[in-house]
Amino acid sequence: MEGKRILIVDDDTDFVEAVACFLEADGLTVFKAYNGEEGVKLAKLERPDLILMDIMMNERTEGFFAIQEMRRDAGLKAVPIFVISSLCTHLPDFEIPQSGGWLAHDMFFSKPVDLVQLLEKIRQRFEKAA
Amino acid sequence: MSEVAAPDTIVVIDDDYAMRLSCSKILSKMGLRVEAFENGARGLEGVAEHKPGLVVVDLKMPGISGLEVISRVHEIDPQIIMVVITGYATIDTAVEAMKSGAYDFLPKPFSPDELRMIINRGLDRRRLALESQRGEVERALLKRRFVTFVSHQLRTPLVAIHQYLDVLKHLDQTKDDPARRQEWLDRCLKRTEELQNLITDWLTLARVEGGTLVKERVEIDLKPIVSSILASYEEMAAAEQVSLDVVWPEEALCVWSDRNCMNVLFDNLITNAIKYNRPGGKVTVTGCLSGGEVAIAVADTGVGIPEKYRPFLFDEFFRIKGEGVKRTEGTGLGLHISKRIVSEMGGSIEVESQAGIGSTFRVRLPAWCAPAEDTEIGGWE
Repeated sequence: MEGKRILIVDDDTDFVEAVACFLEADGLTVFKAYNGEEGVKLAKLERPDLILMDIMMNERTEGFFAIQEMRRDAGLKAVPIFVISSLCTHLPDFEIPQSGGWLAHDMFFSKPVDLVQLLEKIRQRFEKAA
Repeated sequence: MSEVAAPDTIVVIDDDYAMRLSCSKILSKMGLRVEAFENGARGLEGVAEHKPGLVVVDLKMPGISGLEVISRVHEIDPQIIMVVITGYATIDTAVEAMKSGAYDFLPKPFSPDELRMIINRGLDRRRLALESQRGEVERALLKRRFVTFVSHQLRTPLVAIHQYLDVLKHLDQTKDDPARRQEWLDRCLKRTEELQNLITDWLTLARVEGGTLVKERVEIDLKPIVSSILASYEEMAAAEQVSLDVVWPEEALCVWSDRNCMNVLFDNLITNAIKYNRPGGKVTVTGCLSGGEVAIAVADTGVGIPEKYRPFLFDEFFRIKGEGVKRTEGTGLGLHISKRIVSEMGGSIEVESQAGIGSTFRVRLPAWCAPAEDTEIGGWE
């Protein structure tokens, strides 16, 4: 985990700060973006190892647009994206199967997110990739 | 609507060949599409296939009766207008048909004019029905969106608070930074405040909409009300380095209104003027009586409101985002509530704004006139 780079895209500065702090305490490097556009720019610039993405930002589905935009970039095609959104609060956390098109393999977490579990899923994802 | 609508389709079901032919001719000349069928069974297939706006059906036919056709057509689409053709002898059946959902009936023999009139009336009726149905769908959709939006708005601060508390719980106490802990607690408090404001505003809005915000109508002088609101925000204004000014006329500015409503209205306008200002800026409230109205203007020296946003300024949950706009807390309901209150009071609210100079919100309310004294009728001889 040490030295892995995570990008958080969320319009709530408090949410970003809390999650970032938790991940940094575990040795991860965190980049922060506060809307979809900023997120795409930063992703292209910093090439993170994993992206945490909010959905409802300025636009109702801004996060989805940002993910589609990232998937169009060859360098970001395969980066794991974890969606953290209050859109799916009534669902357990789940993973999109391979057939899921541009969301394939991405994970969905409800908000507020269980940080310990989130960290565990991030760890698992990195181990699987290694 | 500016688009050219496709011509309405009419299905004619009659076992009489001459009747089908003449109806088809007349209706085609009206610019309508006509499909004619010789019995109920074929007619129903035709209705399913052509999706007409209106069906003309003869009541007395061999096979499936006209009455049954009516109910079967309405199973396909209850919005289809049914017109029945009937001989004089069966006027009772026509009444029966009306009861079972036919829109109107044409007693045989009828003139082309009578047919045209009834068809036009039926189609008008259908258009009205469809429009009101669309309106209902739109209203339902808006309501659903409103609920989704509000629950997202309510959840956002809660999520932030939860997340801070979660991290505080998990982070290694020994490595803990007390200053950061303090800052996070402050932010949590701020977010709970945000939540409370949202709930308060939402309730106020519900009261405005339910017509229960206005509890009483009394004579109110707005001068002391606005002055005391200004006084209560002195501290907040000082923190933002904004000065508060008021320019009152000699006379009282009386309206016939509800005290609480007036408080909510001017509280919204004044807090906005403070929040959307700049350090060293000014909030100026002026009032006057003119043309039977009390006019109160709340002016700020903020960045101004871009023209493209002004039409939406009073919409619920509308907030200007990005583009160098100061990030301030707010529920996006204040101006909407203000507008609703002003309309309720028979007044108006408008905004003038200039980029870099500031915005002025002008409220006009009907002035309260004391009933003139000494005008008793019949007191003199």
